[in-house]
Amino acid sequence: MRAFAQAPATLLFDDRVRVYFSTRPEPDAAGQYVSLGGYVDLRRDNLFDVVAVSPHPVMTLGGRGAFDEFGTYPMTVALDGDVIRAYYGGWTRCVSVPFDVAIGCAVSRDDGVTFVKQGDGPVLSADLNEPFVISGPKVRRFNDRWILWYIAGTKWIATGGRAEPVYRIRMATSTDGMRWTRLHTELIPPRLEADECQASPDVTFANGKYHMFFCYRYSLGYRGRERGYRIGYASSTDLTTWVRDDAKAGIDVSDNGWDAEMISYPHVAEIDGRTFMFYLGNQVGRHGFGVAELEGTLA
Amino acid sequence: MKWTKRGLLFDPTRHTLPGGCTEFAQSPQALVFDDVVRIYFSTRRRDHDGQYVSHVAFVDVDRNLEHVREIAAETVITPGSLGCFDEHGIFPFNVVRHDANVVGQHDAIYAFTCGWSRRVSVPVETAIGLAVSRDRGRTFQRTGPGPVMAATSREPFLVGDPFVRVRDGRWHMWYIYGVRWMDSPGEPGPARVYKIAYASSVDGIVWERSGEPIISDAIGADECQALPTVFECDGLWHMYFCYRYATDFRANPARAYRLGYAWSRDGHRWIRDDQAGGIDVSPEGWDSEMLCYPHVFWCHDQAYMLYNGNAFGRQGFGVAVLER
Repeated sequence: MRAFAQAPATLLFDDRVRVYFSTRPEPDAAGQYVSLGGYVDLRRDNLFDVVAVSPHPVMTLGGRGAFDEFGTYPMTVALDGDVIRAYYGGWTRCVSVPFDVAIGCAVSRDDGVTFVKQGDGPVLSADLNEPFVISGPKVRRFNDRWILWYIAGTKWIATGGRAEPVYRIRMATSTDGMRWTRLHTELIPPRLEADECQASPDVTFANGKYHMFFCYRYSLGYRGRERGYRIGYASSTDLTTWVRDDAKAGIDVSDNGWDAEMISYPHVAEIDGRTFMFYLGNQVGRHGFGVAELEGTLA
Repeated sequence: MKWTKRGLLFDPTRHTLPGGCTEFAQSPQALVFDDVVRIYFSTRRRDHDGQYVSHVAFVDVDRNLEHVREIAAETVITPGSLGCFDEHGIFPFNVVRHDANVVGQHDAIYAFTCGWSRRVSVPVETAIGLAVSRDRGRTFQRTGPGPVMAATSREPFLVGDPFVRVRDGRWHMWYIYGVRWMDSPGEPGPARVYKIAYASSVDGIVWERSGEPIISDAIGADECQALPTVFECDGLWHMYFCYRYATDFRANPARAYRLGYAWSRDGHRWIRDDQAGGIDVSPEGWDSEMLCYPHVFWCHDQAYMLYNGNAFGRQGFGVAVLER
């Protein structure tokens, strides 16, 4: 792996915090990347102390024609008894649009070093009203239910060159982690424009409320500072009705440096009474991820 | 079973088809009206890249299936949108008349569509959509932009070829899903292997499926099974489908599609018995090299089979009559 550490997702061990991320080998002759999952272990009492790095990708790419033949990104993890459950976006390449994504499930029985896919196909793919780009999974367990926040594409914009997707945050629930019931509504209204793209819906519970951090950007021309990703915020008391208030996100791009142009893919984790946000900076993680600590409380 | 072939019923090259299509009338599927039998099929037009796109059309024939009355003049269903599962064609197109209230309208006509979209590492992916007609089947509108049946953990790709019937208040679907893509030296692109499976639904939209093949293989594990059609007759369930070898099936008649047959007492457990199917390729002519895409239906207490012959239906479809 040479570059990119995208979409951080944490798992707590006794002495360390494991941060899964997606990374990329060198692009192929056509300049196209595949994306694979790895991790870095950070000392639990000092997140800037790297203890270990995954020796190999934590799961393989799918076989020919499979939904995850060209990438497993992003990835989200959760403990399920004595196994670790992962959900990930599986990438395939299309002709009229550059790609499609569906969500797969994999399980680890070796403390998260390797994950075995639960079948060759996806557990959440296109359906009647979510026609493509089913991606960006974030799994949580609340009230004895599995809850998956994810994104679904609403349209592809033909730009004359590469088509660009518009996607929004959605939610599904499950009792077994394999069969999902979708809510079938967009949770977060767009704020920037009708075609606002939203990703990385990361939900945490604190002080009697659910808090969602996500990222959002303009649908086109998003590779620079003006229209690139920012981190948004919404809260809910019932998991399905959300009030968006980006001003409460409490984090923005820096004046200069690795996160001066964009910030994206937030992941919030409470570690020993402190609340941290892992996130990506410029070029959606080409230079790795950073961490921020919450001052005060989530309210 | 014994089928008597009547010969070619519809030759697309001898008619003007909608949308500039000129060849192919594939996977004929019937909808019986009081006065005519409407037969939907997929025909083809080349797109700006020179690649084929399948479009749905229909032809109305008399109730004895002898004479062509009328051909669809307008678009039966529009192409799918950019990036959607059916952007690059619909083939096949299975119609169901049902009094259920799926779209708030009684006696609507539903179509389960097999939508095609192009991929990079393999030529195509498919999934099953649902459309509805409010004008006696002349035009259909999608119930949503996406599919009702797509890949799952156990059915990883190529979910398609729906055949749907409503019985005892429940929707029943026989369909296919892909089990692998494999090397196919000397041919354009990799070869696919697919099998017949079964799903059921209370509303036609949310489907329960087991992800298991229901028809045993007759020519090895790489047998490709396609387009099941199911009907009841004399107290048993009967299924016809087509099957072929996974490679070298286009130009080699010995490895091309033939019709398979299975029967069942309960509609779930099937006994395959191709010898008892009672229909095979002809010694010469339009259906002498392959038989494919069967569709059986009842009209006037007579069971008919529509099917394609050589070159996957380039020359149209024929009809056979069940002898009882």
